[in-house]
Amino acid sequence: MVALLEPAVVDKATTLETLLETPAGKRMMTCIQCGTCAGTCPYGEHMEFAPRLVINMLRGGFIDEVIKSDSLLRCVACYACLAKCPRGIRLTDVLLPLVKEQVLVTRTEIPAEFQKSLENMHRYGNPMGESPRKRAAWTATAGTKIPILAEVKRTVDVLWFVECYPSFYARGQDNCRAVAKLFQALGVDFAILGNEEKCAGECGQVTWESGLFESLAEDNMKLFKKYQFRRIVTADAHAYNAFHFRYPMFGLTQPAEHTTQFFARHLDQLKPRLTRPVNRTVTYHDPCCLGRATGSYDEGRALLQAIPGVKLVEMVHNRVNSICCGGGGGGMWLDTYYKQKGMERLSERRVREAVATGADVLAVSCPYEISRFEDALKTVPHDKPMVVRDVVELLAESLA
Amino acid sequence: MKPIVPKKNEPVRIGFYICHCGTNIASVVDVEAVAKYAATLPNVAVSRTYKYMCSDPGQELIQQDIQESRLNRIVVAACSPLLHEHTFRKATEAGGLNPFYFQMVNIREHDSWVHTDRTEATRKAMALARAAIQRVPHHKPLEVKKVGINPNVLIVGGGIGGIHAALTLANAGKMVYLVEKEATIGGHMAKFDKTFPTLDCAMCVLSPKMAAIGSHPNIHLWTYSEVAKVDGYVGNFKVTVRRKPRYILEDLCTGCQECVNACVYKDAKFADEFNLGLGKRKPIFLPFPQAIPPVTMIDPEVCLNFKRGKNPDGSHTVSDKCKKTCVEACGDRKAIDFKQTQEIKEITVGTIIVATGFQIFDARRIPYYGYGVYPNVYNALEVERLINASGPTEGEVILRNGQVPKKVAIVHCVGSRDENTNRWCSRVCCLYSLKLAHLIKEHTHAEVYNFYIDMRTPGKGMEEFYNRIAEEGMHLIRGRVADVYPDPNDGATGRLVVQAEDTLTNKILKIPVDMVVLATGLEPHPEAESLRRMFNLSCSSEGWFLERHPKLAPVNTFTDGIFLAGCCQGPKDIPDTVAQAGAAAAEAFALIDKGHVEQEPNTAYILDDCCGCKSCIPLCPYTAISFAEDTKKAIINETLCKGCGTCVASCPSGSIVQNLFEDVEIYSEIDGVLAEGLF
Amino acid sequence: MANATQSPLPNSTWKPRIVAFFCNWCTYTAADLAGVSRMKHFSNVRIIRLMCSGRVDPQFVLEALAKGADAVLIGGCHPNDCHYVEGNYKCLRRYQMLKRMIADMGIEPERLRLEWISAAEGEKLKRVVNEMVETITKLGPLGLPQKFEQWDREMEEFANHVAARDAAAGGGCAEHGTNTQPLETAHA
Repeated sequence: MVALLEPAVVDKATTLETLLETPAGKRMMTCIQCGTCAGTCPYGEHMEFAPRLVINMLRGGFIDEVIKSDSLLRCVACYACLAKCPRGIRLTDVLLPLVKEQVLVTRTEIPAEFQKSLENMHRYGNPMGESPRKRAAWTATAGTKIPILAEVKRTVDVLWFVECYPSFYARGQDNCRAVAKLFQALGVDFAILGNEEKCAGECGQVTWESGLFESLAEDNMKLFKKYQFRRIVTADAHAYNAFHFRYPMFGLTQPAEHTTQFFARHLDQLKPRLTRPVNRTVTYHDPCCLGRATGSYDEGRALLQAIPGVKLVEMVHNRVNSICCGGGGGGMWLDTYYKQKGMERLSERRVREAVATGADVLAVSCPYEISRFEDALKTVPHDKPMVVRDVVELLAESLA
Repeated sequence: MKPIVPKKNEPVRIGFYICHCGTNIASVVDVEAVAKYAATLPNVAVSRTYKYMCSDPGQELIQQDIQESRLNRIVVAACSPLLHEHTFRKATEAGGLNPFYFQMVNIREHDSWVHTDRTEATRKAMALARAAIQRVPHHKPLEVKKVGINPNVLIVGGGIGGIHAALTLANAGKMVYLVEKEATIGGHMAKFDKTFPTLDCAMCVLSPKMAAIGSHPNIHLWTYSEVAKVDGYVGNFKVTVRRKPRYILEDLCTGCQECVNACVYKDAKFADEFNLGLGKRKPIFLPFPQAIPPVTMIDPEVCLNFKRGKNPDGSHTVSDKCKKTCVEACGDRKAIDFKQTQEIKEITVGTIIVATGFQIFDARRIPYYGYGVYPNVYNALEVERLINASGPTEGEVILRNGQVPKKVAIVHCVGSRDENTNRWCSRVCCLYSLKLAHLIKEHTHAEVYNFYIDMRTPGKGMEEFYNRIAEEGMHLIRGRVADVYPDPNDGATGRLVVQAEDTLTNKILKIPVDMVVLATGLEPHPEAESLRRMFNLSCSSEGWFLERHPKLAPVNTFTDGIFLAGCCQGPKDIPDTVAQAGAAAAEAFALIDKGHVEQEPNTAYILDDCCGCKSCIPLCPYTAISFAEDTKKAIINETLCKGCGTCVASCPSGSIVQNLFEDVEIYSEIDGVLAEGLF
Repeated sequence: MANATQSPLPNSTWKPRIVAFFCNWCTYTAADLAGVSRMKHFSNVRIIRLMCSGRVDPQFVLEALAKGADAVLIGGCHPNDCHYVEGNYKCLRRYQMLKRMIADMGIEPERLRLEWISAAEGEKLKRVVNEMVETITKLGPLGLPQKFEQWDREMEEFANHVAARDAAAGGGCAEHGTNTQPLETAHA
């Protein structure tokens, strides 16, 4: 894959007006209008201005027409266009967010559900509008003491950034309990931020409103500066993406890891502890923010294959060609809107592929996917039962 | 003109000439100012500017001044010496001076073309001119060394390029060694069915040439052989060729193939390389019916008479476990030799033509096209074999399940024009895709969809060909295919969906097809890097062999006496390959016909001051330096010396001198380029 | 004495002077390629063509620095690509020695650079030249000729001083036997 985000190609100050002067913009000048981006886009057929056309409208000086349309409300920031672009053009993380921001500023009608979640993020630091004081409430159910940085008052090895969905959603909390169990099994020196933590700001670079992202990032950065830790580990692929690519621009110096990457790195220590067989056929869904965005395809699969009894099967679309669950780029809060517009839910498209593999378990590694795929399984017909599990949940299940 | 022999102690009189090169130099460098500056320097008798120094009047100017102004040194500031040093040496000589009383200053490639500031560029030109003006008084008259050329030619690669070059030279009476890595010559062209734009049968035009190679008295054809080592230099290359064992004695085999029929394997069951694994062959086989030489070979990896697996040295051990029905069938001809080992041949040739070709892009590198995953995804070369009457299906375009496809998609630019794989346009794919579209339609009456980014059909008759194919009713869709996946509604049949944006209608197309053909691009041969090292060639960053000049020396390399032909230099079609092969043959012939090469007299020699420390002796890569026991001094064999100057730089007593690059000459250049006020 | 080791301050008109020794087959050709491709770069590098980087006598480098160059760039073929088999390797060995030597002479090692640039690498040539000019611009002038002059003056002054002192002592040249005497006096 050509395109991994280097800070040199995106600058916080870049706007649509200045974009074509930047290194990333000069790449856009090399676009050959082949249409791979539009062809691979999961909602390409529903866009008046698919990515190819967005580039050409920008180059031709007609970007205002794109901003007036609702085409980019239909972008789920899945990185497919960027990953396959034969010119390595930074669509998902550079061009499209800049256009989206203008759409948000200019459009009179923004889908209410989406509007609400942006407001919630701003006001409560989480998109669902839950009380920030309850953010660490799940720790009571963890079955073990979860250390909080403000209380431990020392340098810890791992800052576990829990994020919103794992903190507040019941199925997300399953993920938290699994991570806690695995950390404990490995003897990891970790702590969480507790109620101080705020949403990392989605993927950061695919946010709709750079001001909102900046305020969230600055709040979190204050905490990161206040405490001492050696690395950030998070189970949320979107947060990982933000920490990996965007937060360094705000001064983050510690490395960030996704839980699958962290556990895969410690697989030698973990593997002897994985003794309880999980006799299931499992298919693995590549999260966009982990797979196409960072090239991290193997970690999730390596962890699954380390579990005794697991038989791994692949869906038709996998790795670089994986299909998005539809939750990225704000898609998480646009389901109603998509339905109104007669668009198929991508989670259902994905689940149909999972069902076709004959697997018992659809393994995921991003908290958005749990709820999206579980919902989709309610509507997609399947003869054989199928459950959705995070990779870490399956690992924890296998721990003796 | 009568030669001028400078008298001893005659004062040095330099003629300095600066070229405008039209506006190439003069637009950036103030040539008048440089000429004025040069005139002020010691020993400069004449200082002039001229529009084009390399033109005849420009050269005559030098000759005239030598005679009229009694010049005895010439400095020309113009382009790179690699381009015109020779020209001006000739002019100097024509004026009556020894040609080595000349020095060139590069103010075009190294100055006017790479700088924009006129003041800075002019200063640089002045400094470089001063260096040459200070250097040239130290020049000495030298003689060009002539070395005879061995008239034999080595051609590496037996594809259409190598075949054409070999026949051209052999017909002209030159002895040619044609070395081919595979067991037969013919290369990629032998696998094609028809060729664009004429749609004439590839083998019909190729096989007579192949046969001519096989029977030509002036051609030593060594197939299943590789060049292992190249030493020497233009006119006199020493080449080592390794002939791999095919376990058949070429001289004795008549090509009757009775051994193949008699093999204990009644059915062919091993993947046939020539048909890209689409067909099957036996352990003893003829690569393809028209193979040249028409000699069978044995695959020791699968033949029962060999132990499985290679020995550490790459050889195979005979197991003697087979009934050897093949040997029985061969009878008195006794052409089968299980104990054959590799044979090392050493030859001397004067010139070499490298025509090692290309490899097709491995489509597995683009996972979303499903090559190697879905059986109905083919690469274009496989389809050529399916269409070919002598191919595995005898010319029937059928899928692996035996069905005839009703809808076929051809995907252009697979592994071309893509930053993720290869950046270059492979040049032939658009045209061969149109050809395949025509042939598939002709064979199957299928609906054919061509997905292209840009339709590139330059060349004689090519646009007309495009027009003809379009008229036949192909679907030509402008959009790069983004995804190929099994039809979710019809998965069991192996039907695939090809998804792409039709960029001209703004529609996303999802077209169900029975067969997908990937128009895979061309890429450098995997062994190009080791070949490059062996022949001391240069490669472009993509890995294609680099020609000496993209326009004016397209078949020459940076190594004298080695020429390029065909796709090893870059993607090209058959007509261009043949044209280039002919050009390479002509270049080789021109060298041979001249009978000798002139070598720069930049060799080194040893002064009487040599103290006999011997430290230079091991440094010489050509073992040109030896130690004279009688005088206790080192001596340099001038014919072996190649003029690198490494020994000169190492001599602790400063007793070695390199002609044309004497220490004093270089010191005066150093002093010259550092002139005050010129930075 | 402090002044003797201080470099003359870069003034606004100062530009680095860099002498380059390029081999005929690779790096000189790469510089030609940069020209043909119109790759603009700084004009401060003056190229001297040699047949092989193996011809670069360490004295050429020292001579260039002594004659006023601020830096020296040597360009040769990549390892295993030398037109003369291994001249570039010989050059590398001399370069390693020179690096240590100029460091001992108090010259920044950045002022000597060896690069392998093949005939196809016009782009690399441009990059190396530009980098080198930028590096040397930051380092400032080396100014060895000026230093030599200054050292000569100091030596002369010192010699005059010694002569004057000896004259004052009234003894002309010190006798061998009394060699230690002035030293002891000096220490006292």
